[in-house]
Amino acid sequence: MTNEIWITVFGLGLISFLIRISGFILASHLPKHGAWARGLEALPGCLIASLVTLMMIYGSTLEWITGIIVLVISALTHKPNLAMFCGIALIAALRQLGL
Amino acid sequence: MPKIERFLFFTRRAIYLSRTNNEYLFTKFINMRAASTVRIEILYGIRDMLPMSLAAATYGLAFGLLASQSGFNNFQAISMSALVFGGSSQLVAMDQLVLGVGPAAAIIAGAALNMRILLITASMESIMRDRSWWHIGLGTFLATDASVALMQTAKSRLMTDSYWYFFGGGASLYFVWIVVTTIGAFLSSGIPDPELVGLDFAIIAIFVAILPGMWRGYVDIFPWFIAAGTVIFFGVWLPEYASWGLISGAIFGAMAAGLKND
Repeated sequence: MTNEIWITVFGLGLISFLIRISGFILASHLPKHGAWARGLEALPGCLIASLVTLMMIYGSTLEWITGIIVLVISALTHKPNLAMFCGIALIAALRQLGL
Repeated sequence: MPKIERFLFFTRRAIYLSRTNNEYLFTKFINMRAASTVRIEILYGIRDMLPMSLAAATYGLAFGLLASQSGFNNFQAISMSALVFGGSSQLVAMDQLVLGVGPAAAIIAGAALNMRILLITASMESIMRDRSWWHIGLGTFLATDASVALMQTAKSRLMTDSYWYFFGGGASLYFVWIVVTTIGAFLSSGIPDPELVGLDFAIIAIFVAILPGMWRGYVDIFPWFIAAGTVIFFGVWLPEYASWGLISGAIFGAMAAGLKND
């Protein structure tokens, strides 16, 4: 098992780095204007939208309610950190209440 | 000193030194200014990364804890965090190893989850463009999901193209990641349940919270709809490929944005 763990650690480490650097190399060869540029500009937003969707489709009702409240606080205050801490405090309080 | 006052101070000083024709002092001042700017950008990056560091800390702790319970020794657990620097991919690769499928399958499973980082480093290209390969290697190595969150805070600081801002944020997250993995691996038990204090929700909360800041207006409705729709499709009909749904959602959403105005 020890050798298998080391092979996985180094193998996954190397592949993860190659994945990371490939993204940069790929993007540096893409046109800086037109459809490619618009797509790259929209990419971070789409990635976060996908990530949130993936987390929420497996979320509980409590997480959905708290998630919506976090979204509203962040949109109104423009302070994502504040919204995050409110969300953590709220879900902890609701769980303590047995909800 | 507030940002605007600091800016005015440096500008006035630079004008004064250039007018006095003291080339030595002027060059020395400009170099000092550059060093000072780098330090300030790194510090802002570290500061803005703090909430994400807190969210990541719970995962790092969980990884260290699970690794020590899954037959990893402490050095192996810490090495994995140091070399892979990707929470979900580390957990999945470890899970696969415990199931006895072998290192190749474990590496492929972990790499599949890390494929999304390719999209993140692609969107960070403008930050690292024209830098040395050493800087590019370091910058891409420190890229994680949290870097996307940092892109949003960078807007308000007018640092969207600052390499050192993202370096500061990434390096601080890396440091936290290693420290919490070490704590988790050494403690191996006796850590309070993160669910009790709501810390397990931190990772969801931070990404939900940065969504409004990523919103660029009506132009995002269609791409985001495509992205979310793709993830839901995979999540409902192909749940075993949910991580591919995440990557496909981001790519299809970006494609929709790119093709929309053509």
